[in-house]
Amino acid sequence: MIGTLSLLAVVVLGLVGWFTGRGRARLLYGGRGTMHSLPAYHGWHLALWIAVPALVGWAIWSMIAPHLVQVAVLADPLATQLPPSGFDRLAILAEARNLAENPDASAFNPLSAQLAQPMAGAVREFGLIGLGLVLVIAFAGGAYGYTRIRAGFPARTRVERAIMAGLLIASLLAVLTTAGIMASLLFESARFFGMVSPIAFLTGLHWAPGNAAGAGIDADFGAVPLFWGTIYIGVVIAMIVAIPLGLMSAIYLTQYAGQRSRRWLKPCLEILAGVPTVVYGYFAALQVGPLIRDLAEMLGKANPSTESALAAGLVMGVMIIPFVSSMADDSIAAVPQAMRDGSLAMGATHSETIRKVLLPAALPGIVAGVMLAISRAIGETMIVVMAAGAAARLSADPFASMTTVTFQIVQLLTGDQEFDSPKTLSAFALGLVLFLVTMVLNIVALRVVRRFREAYE
Amino acid sequence: MSSTWGSPEFGRRIARRQAAERRFRLLGLGAVVLSLSFLALLLVIMAKNGIGGIDWRFLTSSDSTDPATAGVFAAVKGSLLTMLVTLALAFPLGVCSAIYLEEFAPRSRWVDWIEVSINNLAAVPSIIFGLLGLALFINTLGLPRSSPLVGGLTLALMTMPVIVISGRNAIQAVPPSIRDAALAIGASPTQTVFHHVLPLALPGILTGTIIGMARALGETAPLLMIGMRAFVASPPSGLTDPASVLPMQIFLWSDEIDRGFVRDTSAAIIVLLLFLLAMNGLAIYLRNKFETRW
Repeated sequence: MIGTLSLLAVVVLGLVGWFTGRGRARLLYGGRGTMHSLPAYHGWHLALWIAVPALVGWAIWSMIAPHLVQVAVLADPLATQLPPSGFDRLAILAEARNLAENPDASAFNPLSAQLAQPMAGAVREFGLIGLGLVLVIAFAGGAYGYTRIRAGFPARTRVERAIMAGLLIASLLAVLTTAGIMASLLFESARFFGMVSPIAFLTGLHWAPGNAAGAGIDADFGAVPLFWGTIYIGVVIAMIVAIPLGLMSAIYLTQYAGQRSRRWLKPCLEILAGVPTVVYGYFAALQVGPLIRDLAEMLGKANPSTESALAAGLVMGVMIIPFVSSMADDSIAAVPQAMRDGSLAMGATHSETIRKVLLPAALPGIVAGVMLAISRAIGETMIVVMAAGAAARLSADPFASMTTVTFQIVQLLTGDQEFDSPKTLSAFALGLVLFLVTMVLNIVALRVVRRFREAYE
Repeated sequence: MSSTWGSPEFGRRIARRQAAERRFRLLGLGAVVLSLSFLALLLVIMAKNGIGGIDWRFLTSSDSTDPATAGVFAAVKGSLLTMLVTLALAFPLGVCSAIYLEEFAPRSRWVDWIEVSINNLAAVPSIIFGLLGLALFINTLGLPRSSPLVGGLTLALMTMPVIVISGRNAIQAVPPSIRDAALAIGASPTQTVFHHVLPLALPGILTGTIIGMARALGETAPLLMIGMRAFVASPPSGLTDPASVLPMQIFLWSDEIDRGFVRDTSAAIIVLLLFLLAMNGLAIYLRNKFETRW
């Protein structure tokens, strides 16, 4: 509460600083060429001096304040009644903190109700200290900034340097995100591989994390059935649907369709990529799954289930069509017109030109597009969660229910979570494999596309 | 082949090749029609199942165990709060990042790293972002589970690369003559970018942002990871309350055994698709209205 108030105070002071700085600088104006910077830049300079140090101070204080509150509460005579250590102690403290924040909450433990009083007092006390600290920093920064306002002071250069630093920090965030993904996946995976051998994980044929414990733990974490399910659904079935349909759509739209129909058909096709995957998943589970089960029954399968690799793969393939199509579209368009004209001038028909000249020339781009599509398909979650089933099995039967890496990640991390069990940690190991595979596919595909583009430019 | 001009053999070959041409063309048309008819089928079935379920009560009440009284209000509100967090973070950071990379970045190894990671992040499976959100925001920073705050942060990390890429394209499309003109009359590089380039690129950036936000709005998998799948019977009143979002509500209802939920699920899907349609329509409108061909 007081934390938010301090933040608000900083913003208001910064605003005041902006107007003060600009007003002060305006008074200095003594005709053309007397000032280095426009008055507004002096305003920004002062506002930055007020806000940035104060915000840094605020951030540091809100990180250390909870610890100080805890120390203060533990010094209270009531705290001697706390259980000496462990989970109960933390639970009671957490509950007291909750009670201190909103008194209406119900107390589970009577001790925490008693501790709520000193807790609220300590929170208020340290909050006020923090507010004071932030205000002091803001005034100190502001005073320093104010003394710098002179006619010759290069406020604009300083402000622009600050802007540049801000822009650089924003663009480093992408690297930080990548690093964060890598770090969190590697860290949790390392804990997992401390319990289960990586070789058993990558080559084992039996996946049953539910009952894994003790000495035979390696035998229950064989992820090969998951990799197989992912490849079978995402690469085999989905691509059998998506590559022909996507490629032929792209050829039709770029080579045969007229201007007008192309203007309508292409956005319509792109809608397929914009439909949320949960909608596809529901459609697969509600309509496609039962249809496929009936088909399997007709083909003489015994007890087919509505959850099948085929249902998930088919729907996923349809979802992927626009990706393949737009990548193929781009790479066909990048083939130089002269090659097409040459072929047509030799008397080849349109379709012969497409098959024998355009497609071979566009092949690298199309292959890259298919790689991106595959990386999309193996990372797809909702369709397989809703339509593919949970059975980890090695089978080439498209009517069998099958499970994938993404499905298992969801399965392992929703439900009861204890963060030290190999069951939960294995989800991060699966995530690491998925991340690395998709990253390699993406980077290779992007490189191929770039080289391909350069070849024709 | 020894067929000469005008011989019957020649005529047959021409006819065969023309038939192949027609077949190929038909095949292409068939692919387009097949893809679009799947889309049409999906929409028609959802409309048929769900249109009867949309009424005022459905839009204003929250989740319930009884399909007849369940509604989407809590989920819509959760979605809006989540999107608010996502937009507030991803838009400024994405635009700043795009400006830096396109206008100021020196050619160096560091900048190559930034570019590779942005392009890669745009194609990383969304569930991986969920794992990051779980490990970073919940386990390390201790933010409240299943709250719009954590959901929005996670989706912001996912949406930012999309905004950066579309922002860079929009900035690139502004002709160099604009920059030259501003620099020539004495504007500093920063002034040039913020006073001249950015306003001209803004429609393109906004279009990309809306498309990225539409993708985030339909996303389910990363939110499953951070626990936004709880039964939420009352709308969240703040950013740290437990909340559900619209796609998650669809997922939760789709698991229900009661047949009445088929109607609710389809109705929620219609609501979600209408939101997405409105956002994409806005993006197309912006593009058509403000797009300048240089």
